[in-house]
This record gives sequence, C-alpha cells and structure tokens, in this order.
Amino acid sequence: MNKLFLKFAMLPAPFWRSLGADTDQLSAILDMRLMIDNRRPIGFGRRQTQKKEIKHGTITSTILFTFMGAFYSLPLFVVPDRVISLALYFTIIFLMLTLSLITDFSNALFDNKDKYTLFPRPIDDRTLVLAKLLHIFIYLMRMVIPTSFAAWCLLTYQDGWTSTLVFPIAITLLTFMSLFVVNGVYLIILKLTTAERFKDIISYFQVIASVVFFAIVYLRPRNINIDVNALDPARYRWVQFVPSYWLASFWKWLGHPTLLGGGVVTTLCGLLVPVFCIVALVRWLAPEFTRKIAGIDGAEVSMPITARGKKAKQNRLYLKLATLFNRSDAAKAGFMLAWLQTSRSRTFRMRVYPSMAFIPIYFIYLLTQNGSSIAEAFSALHGSRKYLLLLYMSSYVLINGLSYMLMSDQYKAAWVFYSSPVDPPGKVMIGAFKALCVKLFLPFFIAITIFILYIWGISVVPDILLAMINVLVLAICMARISMRQLPFSSMEHMKQSGGRVVRSLLTMLIPGVLGFAHYLSMEIWWLKLTLAFLSVALLWFIWESYATTTWANVRKEEM
Amino acid sequence: MTPIITIQGLRKQYGDKTVLNNINLEVAPGQIIGYIGPNGAGKSTTVKILTGIIQDYDGQVTVLGKNLRDSVMEVKSKVGYIPELAELYDLLTPREYLTFIGKLYKLDDHIIEDRATRMLTSFGLIDNMDQRMDSFSKGMRQKVLITSGLLHNPSIVFMDEPLSGLDANAVILVKELLQALKQEGKTIFYCSHMMDVVEKVSDRIILINNGTIIADGTIEELKQGNSDTLEQIFSRLTSNGDFVQRADDLAAAMSDRNDLKL
Repeated sequence: MNKLFLKFAMLPAPFWRSLGADTDQLSAILDMRLMIDNRRPIGFGRRQTQKKEIKHGTITSTILFTFMGAFYSLPLFVVPDRVISLALYFTIIFLMLTLSLITDFSNALFDNKDKYTLFPRPIDDRTLVLAKLLHIFIYLMRMVIPTSFAAWCLLTYQDGWTSTLVFPIAITLLTFMSLFVVNGVYLIILKLTTAERFKDIISYFQVIASVVFFAIVYLRPRNINIDVNALDPARYRWVQFVPSYWLASFWKWLGHPTLLGGGVVTTLCGLLVPVFCIVALVRWLAPEFTRKIAGIDGAEVSMPITARGKKAKQNRLYLKLATLFNRSDAAKAGFMLAWLQTSRSRTFRMRVYPSMAFIPIYFIYLLTQNGSSIAEAFSALHGSRKYLLLLYMSSYVLINGLSYMLMSDQYKAAWVFYSSPVDPPGKVMIGAFKALCVKLFLPFFIAITIFILYIWGISVVPDILLAMINVLVLAICMARISMRQLPFSSMEHMKQSGGRVVRSLLTMLIPGVLGFAHYLSMEIWWLKLTLAFLSVALLWFIWESYATTTWANVRKEEM
Repeated sequence: MTPIITIQGLRKQYGDKTVLNNINLEVAPGQIIGYIGPNGAGKSTTVKILTGIIQDYDGQVTVLGKNLRDSVMEVKSKVGYIPELAELYDLLTPREYLTFIGKLYKLDDHIIEDRATRMLTSFGLIDNMDQRMDSFSKGMRQKVLITSGLLHNPSIVFMDEPLSGLDANAVILVKELLQALKQEGKTIFYCSHMMDVVEKVSDRIILINNGTIIADGTIEELKQGNSDTLEQIFSRLTSNGDFVQRADDLAAAMSDRNDLKL
C-alpha cells in the first residue's frame, strides 16, 4: 500500500524538480521513511502480537474514518445545490484535516532525527522539506481516502462519471492546501524567530490553534438544512473567498448551476492556490530550514547556570508532593518522573493541555444540540442534570493524559527501570498515575466543581463525589487493561498518529455509559449509595491490581 | 577466595542466532576485569545478563553469592550499570535525574543530594546541576550516566564503554576513578574497545569472540613472553590480520578500481 502512495506522491516529479528538489533523493528518502514506519521496534518476545496490533489498528482506523466520512457527507444528501453542498462538505474535511495536522502531525516537520543521517549529506533544503511534507501527505491520504469514500460513492450515484473523476482531484488539492497552509505557518514562524524561541512559540501556537479549530468544528452553525431558494446571494459574496468553495465551484462546469455565483476566478483559485502554496513553501520558506532545525536542539554547548535552573533548585514542590502521596520509593520515583516530564515535554503539553479546553467546548456543543443558543442553553441549565455530562466528560482529560504519559521520544531512557531493583514495577506506574491525577486531573476537576456549585448549588455535592470516584475507576481500569506500561517507555509511531481526534471522541462514549447509570440512580438514594460503595470497592480492587503489576505483565519496547 | 561472580555454561540465543555459547567464568572480588571482544561478540549481552536486564538465558549465574535467577532484585540493588552513551530523560536536570535514580534504589533524599553534589563537583558539572540535560554535550551526559551508575555505592560496577564521548581529561579522571574504586574493594567489569586503557587498568583480561571465551588471563599471561600489545593480541586472536589488504580493497571499491583480490 505504501509503495502505491509513494508512486502517487512522486507522480508530479517534474514539478518537484522544477521547484528545485532532487527527485531521486526525494524518492529514496520517502522510501526509507515508509520502510522505517513499517518496522517499529519490537519488545522482547512480542514480535507477532505487536505486528498484529498494528494491522488491527490500521483496519479499525480505516473503518472509523469510513464511518465518520459517511457522517460528514450529510450535506451532500440534504442540500440540493451541489456546489453549496460540496463547499460545506469540503469545509468539514478541511477542518478535520487541519485539526489532525496540528494535533497529530505537528512535530513531524521539526523532528531532527535526521540530524546525523540526512543533514550531513548533500541534500538540498528544498528536497528535505518536500520529503517531510510528502511523508505527512501520504499519512493524510490514508485518512482522506476512507473518509471521502462515502461522498465519492454518493456523487458517483447521483451525478455520474464526471463527478467520479473530478472528486478525487478536488479532494487531493484540498489535502495539499491543508498540508501546505499549516506547515507554511510553521515555516514562517521558523523564519521570523530564532531557533531557541521557536520551540516555545510553536508549542503555544499549536495549543491555541488546536483549541480554536476544535471550537470551529463543534460550535459551527449546524443547521445545514439550507433552503436554497431563500438564500440571498448578495449576503453570501464572502464565500467566494473560501478555499473549499473554490474547489466546489469545479462542479459548476459539470452542469451544476449555483445561486452563489463564482466561476472562472474561483475555479482558477481552486487549481492555482494549492500550487502557489507549494511553490511559496518550497522555494521561499524551505531555504535555511536545515540550519534552523539543526539549531533547535543542536546545542552541544555548556551553558552558564540559568535563572530557570536556580528556580528549579528552590522550587522542588515535586519532591514534597511525591513524599506526601507515596509510601514506596519506586512510587515516588514514578511520581517525580511523571511530574517533571509532563511539565517539560512539548509533545505532552501539545497533546494533553488542549483536551482541557475541548471539554467545555464539547459541553456547549452538546447543550446546543437542540438548536438553542448558548445563552438559552445556559439559562436552562439549573433545572437540568447536565452537570453529570460535564463531570463524566472530565475523564477524557485524565485518560488522554495517561495514554500520552506512556510515550516519549526518549523511550530508550527507560532502561534504568530494568537495571534497577524495582519490584513490582506497578509501584512506579501507580506513582506516575497519582502524579497525573494530582497535577492534571484534580485542578481541572476542581474548576468544573466550582462551576457546577455556582449553577446547581451545594445539593449536588454527593453526585460530584460519586462522579469523581467513577472517573477514577474508569481511568485506572483503562490503565490496568490497556496501558500496563512504564511511564515514558514507549515510542510514538507515525503510523498510529492519524485519527486521534476520532478515537478520542470514542473514548468519551464509555464514560457516557457510566454517567447514564449514575443518572438512573439519581432518584433512588439507596441505589446511589450502593453504587458509591461498589465504585469505591472497585477502585480499591483495580488500584491494587495495577499497583502490583509484575515484570511479566509490563509491556516493553526494545531497549 | 570466594568468587563474587560465577558463570557456568551460560548460553543465550536470539532466534536461531547463538550470542553466548557456553561461557564459564569466575571473578574474584576487588579485581578490574577487562572484558573485550569484537563487535557482536556478546560482551553487552553478558553484561545485560549479569545486571539482570536480560533474564531468559540458559546456565547458572551467581553474583555476590546469590543465584541471579532467584535473587535478581537483590543483585540489582548491589550492582551498578553504566551503559555506553545510553539515553537518559534529558528534559530533566542532573539533580532531578539523579534524585529519580536514587529513589529507584531506595536511597534517602539527603544521601542522594550529598552524593550527587560531590560526584558532579568532581566531574566539573556542579554549575550545570540545575540545567536541563537537553543542552548537554555527549561527554556531559556520559558523566551524569557514570554518576547515576555509582550513586547507590554498588559492590560490582559494570561499565560498557564508559569513556565514550569523554574528552582526554575526563578519560584520565575515569581511569583514576577505576583505581580508586578498586582500592575501595569494588569489583569492576569493564567492557571497551580502547585496548590501551584496558591493558593499563585491568588486573585480568577476558577476550570473547562469537560468544565464546578465547583468552583469559593477566596481560603478561596473554603476551606469553612476546612483546605484543593487547591490540596486537586482540587482532591475532579475532581476525586473520589482513587489514592492509582489506583497506586496499575498500579504497579500490570506492574509486571503482577493479583490482579487488577475492
């Protein structure tokens, strides 16, 4: 499959050459990268299982994307104007791709694993940048093809062969547009700033951008049942500046007239803007890329003591907390490592911190599902029991944090656990779990609690407590079942990067079931009490089981 | 004297490949053992078994009088391991990293603090103690790694190329450290390709090739009355010595000359 994608990415080879890239090198680099992606490190004696896991993971994501794609193609069903319906559809896909690019593939452009393999070779910056971009493009296509499958079938059925042919072109251009816009912004920031500051700037940009895009995706007007005849074209002139509309306007030439106008100019924009983006990116932004990227981490220097260092010496809160929350030294070690790494790992911050913003956004999304405005929804809150939604959704922050706490670029540094007398390793794992609860979950849960108490009053305190226990049960349960790994001991695989957004949303379904059980027990006090006792017992039981995880049960990567 | 390490019939296979083939060895306490061999000979695998990192092997291994299979945690707590240019969590500072390591060995906070400060001072890293290690050079990282391997005052220290990345002064310091540790009665199991260092510091040299011990003795015993250096002995025992021809062939291959002698 990868070979096919590689051929597809190399189809415009003459164009890549005209941009200044060396296509022989480009093809060799891409081939090598895809080969490496297929050969993830394997743990002792776990070769077969993990290979199967990857395969199953790929099939599951493909099914998920196809399913989500069918849902996204709803506008094509309900909006009679083909151009408008496609513009809506392309907008959704564009937003999904952009969000995924920011959250899942954000660091692919800047990782400097190539520092010793590619940077010393006579490879042009343009070739290197294009290789990185096309590598990401190949992974985007693995998402885009299943996602757009339903729409493609529908268009073929409704419009005939012309749409069948034009749709793949439009969707490829859309993918390119999204890819080059996001990475173009990164490269502009890289060009304007110093290598040292770039890390921080990009990290903030990614957090903010992912929150903004998430908000756009979920808080956009959802009333897509547009009455085309009632549209006033004069009010919608701005759509002609929207990239997804440019691509949709291709259909005007296939015999689908539209009310909103557009024509030669929008179609030309659709065709030429992606090309312009590529040219701008490779020709103007790529030069100096290697020098800058090498500078990001390339400080083989001994720096004088820094203010941050002095502060670290004085502020050793993590040690006090580690002692406060843990009895065994192994648990303290796990707590400390998790506390410090989660503060400093850019990847962790980028992946987990936005999830705290996602919860309120998703809450508002659910509140306004019935078509009411945000103000109306908030004023009706007091009479409802929707605080349960918010309480159970908070589990997403903890579970998301837990899954990313296992990953690190320096997963090989976990050798220290294997050479030191840690027994059982579950102690380290439970220490790290506690650190995440104290540092990430508790402050977030307290903030939610304050909001809930403000709206619903003190009478809901028992529900808050029960929900907190249930969320902890859920998190420890997930950790016990699918995350029995030492903290920061696993490598992140590009192959598994796509679709995190979709998977994350599915993670929300399970707390939904728990929340529903809680909801059913609301009127019956003894049932609620029984549930509380059951939850506490379950929490204790699973907690103990997780904390006593033996070496035989720990999942390992190769050291 | 009771051996501190005893290995009997040690075998290790990865799939069809035999990495260690019937290793038998006894190490007396307080010695510096130079464990040498070509790449892929099985040095690191031996060390990983002795430190309890690899636990599926055949044969009997006794360390500090304990059967390694039965008392792996006890052994781990009393040995130190310094791997070659190993990864460390470099987002942490040396102080934080060493505190973390100290906790894994159940050391008290004040002992960690005291030992870490004194050892890093000796390594000239005290000013960098609160800096994140992602800006450190290879040598600085290696110094932190050596400190982390010695922090819990182990009885046996396993060093796998500990001089990697160190500058000349640091190499001298580590060589002196080896002697100082020996004076303290510690046993050192030292793997390296730097033959001159091994020759100078080792009380006993063990040469391994293709998973089998092919030479074992003091440097004088290995010389057998010749004036060979360790490097020459190594080369004689582990290769057919045709380096000039092979270098020629390499150069010829590079310039597309066809005078390769096959």
